[in-house]
Amino acid sequence: MLISRSISHDRADKIYSWLFLLPVFVILLIAAFIPLGYGFGLSFFKYKLNLQQSPLFVGLENYIDLFRDELFMQSLKNNIAFALMSVAIEIVIGIIIAMLLSDDNSFSRIATTFLLIPMIIAPVASGTLWKMMLDRTYGIVNYLLSFVGLPAVSWLADFRIAIYTIVFVDAWQFIPFVAILVLSSIKSIPKSFLDAARVDGASPLKVFTRIVLPITAPVIIIVAMVRFIDAFKVFDTIFVMTQGGPGNATEMLPTYIYRQGIKFLKVGYSSATAILFITVMSLIAWQFIRLRSKQLRRVG
Amino acid sequence: MKLIKQRTDSSNYLSNFLGFPTRVVILILALIMVLFPFYWLITNAFKVEQEYFASPPVVFPTIITFQNFIDAVVKYEMFKGLVNSVLIAVGTTVTTSLFGSMAAYSLINGALPKRIKGVLASWFLVQKMYPAIVVAVPVFYIIRTLGLMDSITALVIMNTSFNLPLVILLMIGFYQEAPYEVEEQSMLDGCSLVQRYLYVTTPMVKSGLIATGMLTFVYSWNEFLYAVILTVNKAKPLTVIIAGFITDKGLIWGPMAAMGCVIVFPVLIIMWLMQRDFISGISAGALKG
Repeated sequence: MLISRSISHDRADKIYSWLFLLPVFVILLIAAFIPLGYGFGLSFFKYKLNLQQSPLFVGLENYIDLFRDELFMQSLKNNIAFALMSVAIEIVIGIIIAMLLSDDNSFSRIATTFLLIPMIIAPVASGTLWKMMLDRTYGIVNYLLSFVGLPAVSWLADFRIAIYTIVFVDAWQFIPFVAILVLSSIKSIPKSFLDAARVDGASPLKVFTRIVLPITAPVIIIVAMVRFIDAFKVFDTIFVMTQGGPGNATEMLPTYIYRQGIKFLKVGYSSATAILFITVMSLIAWQFIRLRSKQLRRVG
Repeated sequence: MKLIKQRTDSSNYLSNFLGFPTRVVILILALIMVLFPFYWLITNAFKVEQEYFASPPVVFPTIITFQNFIDAVVKYEMFKGLVNSVLIAVGTTVTTSLFGSMAAYSLINGALPKRIKGVLASWFLVQKMYPAIVVAVPVFYIIRTLGLMDSITALVIMNTSFNLPLVILLMIGFYQEAPYEVEEQSMLDGCSLVQRYLYVTTPMVKSGLIATGMLTFVYSWNEFLYAVILTVNKAKPLTVIIAGFITDKGLIWGPMAAMGCVIVFPVLIIMWLMQRDFISGISAGALKG
């Protein structure tokens, strides 16, 4: 993607070129590289910040302990379940919404603008918003559901339901994201394809499955993977809505690391979790980048 | 004219793939789902306590009050939070736009080895994907050691690092589109790299830079994770204060909704102004690299 532009540069230009990159390097050194290296080192030590003791080298013990830690396994399970459910829902509904908005009239354009709102407001704000609406006694949702005869539900306090509520709020926020990206891909389909299919008398549903889906597939796959990776970064919504509870029903990896490292100050242990986490995420991301460059070549 | 009509017909055909009535029903439902929560937020912000704590809930408030906003400022530090949020978001936007555009300019028009460019571009992509939480604990420790706990500076540094990759990727695109002949001409006229960056090429991509800046503003305005980790009291932005409502003070819905409005409103205005750029910025962030 980087087209090289060659013209003879003088010495000063070469020096300035490097100087121009310097601030970025400095920032990333402070905010990413040093912490990452430091965290890697700490992950081999038993070290609690609140106790007046020096770090004790324990080798791989933190990593081994992780797999014996039921809470960690629970968070991992919750996070995977959350990722799979939310991505599936967001992709399916996102595609449908994108299809429905694919014409060029002004209603669709206005609706598209409104759809943008959930995905750009602070996740903390949308968490707060839904927490208010989903309250068991004073919330509007249970009130509206009472009209169709449904009993009041404890959306966030019932350990069997809470994770689905989180999935719902996540879907509310990110269906628009999927829809907008798929929509721009649908709009790039050459009109001649659609016209030809129409002249041949193909049903709209057939046009969808035979033309639209195959052409937009690369974009859909990329969006699904972006959402899948992002699902392992979920923090704000959970922090505001459930704090990982009730019990540990909505504890996920980021909230788990936060609790161990920042609340309980188990620096070594939580660093080990973080390192393991980023290793797995990098493997996924690496596969993703490979797949993506392949898909993008297909898109052209 | 005929051509245009035909085109519209074809796309209608697509958008009605589930039948026209189904389409209308789903879209109206979707709009209600998106807009009703905001109606609820705004009305709660102006309701008196008997009405926001009512069962059954009051859908159409009968009394309008500004007390919640006053309470939010007087009792719940909303003004301080607002100032902090603005400082963090503006600080991040300025540093990220400056450093990001410099780096992108250097990668496109500078005299760097070709291999470096490829390595950096793919590395920015990786940086954009890794979860911010993984460096939380070491960053917490480093910031504490540096004595930067509870400071705007710490949050500007962290937010800058999160937003740089996206800004660099987007700015690379803009610089690539800028006509290279102008760049070449000014080079022959003896302008240095710094002069070309400042006076020749960056002014040509000004609108792109502004759009990227707005995106950065919104992301750092909304940021929560590092804000909650690195602030204790005096540097708390609005996002941390509103989260505190729930964890420390129980549900004080009126002031909480008032603060929610203050968090959401600036973002909505920016989005209204920059719709098109927003969509392309967000999609480029997800699809390009």
